[in-house]
Amino acid sequence: MKIQIDNLRFTYPTGLEALRGISLTIEAGEQVAIVGQNGAGKTTLVRHFNGLLQPTVGSVLIGDWDTKKYPVAKLASRVGYVFQNPDEQLFSKDVGTEIRFGPRNLGYSKEKIDGLVKRALALTELSDKTETNPYDLSPTWRKMVALASVIAMDTPIVIFDEPTTGQDAPSITRIAHVIAELRREGKTVITITHDIDFCAENFERVIALSEGQVLLDGAAIDVFGQDEILAQTYVEPPQLTRLGKRLGLKETVRNQEEFLNALKR
Amino acid sequence: MAFINLQNVTYKYPLTKTPVLQNINLQINEGEFVAVIGPNGAGKSTLCYTLAGFVPHFFKGEISGTVEVAGMESSKSTLDEWVLNVGLAFQNPFNQISGAKYTVFEEIAFGLENTGVPRDEMKTRVEEALKLTDISNLADRSPYSLSGGQQQRVALTSILVMQPKLLVLDEPTSQMDPIGTREVFGVIRKMAEDGMTVVMVEHKVEWIANFADRVIALKDGQILLEGKPSEVLTSDVLAENGFGISRYTSTAREAKKQGLWKKENLPVTLDEAVEGFSNW
Amino acid sequence: MHERLSFYIKRNSVIHHLNPLTKLTLVLALILIAFTSPWYWTPHLLVLIAIIPLSFLGKVAPEFFKTALRLILPAAGFLFLMQAFFQPVGETVIFKFYFLDMTQESLMFAFRNATRVIVMVSAFTFLLLTTHPSELMSDLTRRGLPGQFAYVIISTLQILPQMQAKAQTIISAQRSRGLDTESSFIRRMGSLTPLIGPLVFGSLAEVEERAIAIEARGFTSKKVKTSLHEIPDPSSDKLIRWVLIILVIISIALKLWLS
Repeated sequence: MKIQIDNLRFTYPTGLEALRGISLTIEAGEQVAIVGQNGAGKTTLVRHFNGLLQPTVGSVLIGDWDTKKYPVAKLASRVGYVFQNPDEQLFSKDVGTEIRFGPRNLGYSKEKIDGLVKRALALTELSDKTETNPYDLSPTWRKMVALASVIAMDTPIVIFDEPTTGQDAPSITRIAHVIAELRREGKTVITITHDIDFCAENFERVIALSEGQVLLDGAAIDVFGQDEILAQTYVEPPQLTRLGKRLGLKETVRNQEEFLNALKR
Repeated sequence: MAFINLQNVTYKYPLTKTPVLQNINLQINEGEFVAVIGPNGAGKSTLCYTLAGFVPHFFKGEISGTVEVAGMESSKSTLDEWVLNVGLAFQNPFNQISGAKYTVFEEIAFGLENTGVPRDEMKTRVEEALKLTDISNLADRSPYSLSGGQQQRVALTSILVMQPKLLVLDEPTSQMDPIGTREVFGVIRKMAEDGMTVVMVEHKVEWIANFADRVIALKDGQILLEGKPSEVLTSDVLAENGFGISRYTSTAREAKKQGLWKKENLPVTLDEAVEGFSNW
Repeated sequence: MHERLSFYIKRNSVIHHLNPLTKLTLVLALILIAFTSPWYWTPHLLVLIAIIPLSFLGKVAPEFFKTALRLILPAAGFLFLMQAFFQPVGETVIFKFYFLDMTQESLMFAFRNATRVIVMVSAFTFLLLTTHPSELMSDLTRRGLPGQFAYVIISTLQILPQMQAKAQTIISAQRSRGLDTESSFIRRMGSLTPLIGPLVFGSLAEVEERAIAIEARGFTSKKVKTSLHEIPDPSSDKLIRWVLIILVIISIALKLWLS
């Protein structure tokens, strides 16, 4: 499902102009990372995708739906949104019930819900924890519950807000696996992140925001090559990109495979 | 005698079955900057709370072994004495705002008011601390109006201003952008050089390698590895045990298998990686 | 993001320079006199000749009237109507609404009570507008109010808007999961659980962390506390407080003597 943003501007009631004219198209099945310094407008932008915020000027189209004309509860059938802090989302007495909540709101049949919940549990490695109270789990696993509860809604578009913050290495690997699986299913994945190495390893397209405007937008490899422009929004290229550049490699590299191949040439 | 001395420390929270820290032995010298790494559930935060006196004085539970910091012994001291020597800042900056103050300046003065620092000295110390962490421009803002990264700087400054002998930090930069993180590491490094002892839990391996004197790798409540950053952070044991490692290390390890990395030691920092790969 | 979390407005006025305790005494005196004075028109006069002029003197009149219009008058109006209709006193019926009677006596009674409430709420509004809450608390702590008590009061003042902001985020998170909060009342009642759960659980965890954070900054230190702001208390302030106390005593004495 395509996302079309046309000349989007947004001003908070306090008078702060958080988005200053953003136009973007995200095609169905794209994997997009949004990067940029604190306060660049990343969260404000993605909150327009499911109608939590409404444009002050301009428009946001999710498929053929204008977000101004549909309530958030309805847009939830097209856009899943995993909030940064799982504690702002979880309320059920056990993990199984928590994950059923979203798909049930969307009015799916019982059989469909069972199937979706089972798949979400398996993807997030929570299958052995369905009976557990989310608040008895560690913060890392609570994050997984929050992920599963949105994935189970089976929306064509999924948004993650800072999924790796405070997560350890095994948990980050699990999140990367979830994203890869969503990509395989043809879903659009949009992630806000400060973790540029994670971004380099899991996303094809990178959008860098700065002060409410698009600073750079393109294939990850092209965006990471522009380290001077990235620095304007306090982003450093990934570790291996910086290494490649210092070594004077001809092409920009993102990950281990690309780096080693370039080195051999 | 070492500035921090933990002998056979085992600790269990009141409501858990298994100990979170198991037989920890640890000596740290004055002015050392020690980083603690480990997967979730390794006991990193509990170790911080132990050094800061909150285990066992605040959390209760069962503790055995001895905990000595700056000449005080935990079992013979009270928490209010302990916090005069040991400062603690932790991950969630929002919950560290006192809630009793209306500006950042007042927020940072809070600890000094509590410990009876005279007004003139208080003002000077707050101003210096604001300068040190580069947040003088936020002095008149409400602490609640700041971003997560800015609030983390305020939390850190609120502790630094108290001039503790030991600074305990539990992921103090988790919400900062990369450039902010580097600045804060620089400030902490400088504090250590001026004689403050620092124990810091952190996931950002590249910065640990650049700034810390020593690394402790914790897993399941026990010390798995301990030593210089360049040794600990490149150890094969880490990757096998769910620790985060630098991309320089993992890539050089693979390159070594393919004969593209000739040096004996693996790199942790960009400079080490550049040096090793240029010789190839 | 809320930048201003208290009512306090920083201005340079005579009132702002008064000692916080003097302002607190003033407010309490106004309220006590409004409630005890034997003369019918005292509360009304207090609003006209004391509270409104004071808000001008404190340079906070615009904010004062805004709060009064939005908060105080509607509440007092409601109270007035309730009492005017339901107070079973008096014979002279001047207004009839189905089975409800409004008598001249109940009207007079309601008018005075509503004005007393106006005095109470507007006096406190005046205090909050012109007094920095942490200064008031520091001053009271210095005079012997327990520090923990002061902390509870002042942090509650700040944390309420924070709870509100957090509730907003939780509502957004659940709406994103398809929770319908915009339709019928019954559905909305059913959708309360997903909102209250995270708010309560989250708050419990926060309380523990906040306790650790303030303890780490010497909150229970046995040392004698100092304060960042110097709070002057000149003899003029002491004089004002004594005058106010004497006025209250006279008001109470008159009430007892006349009844």
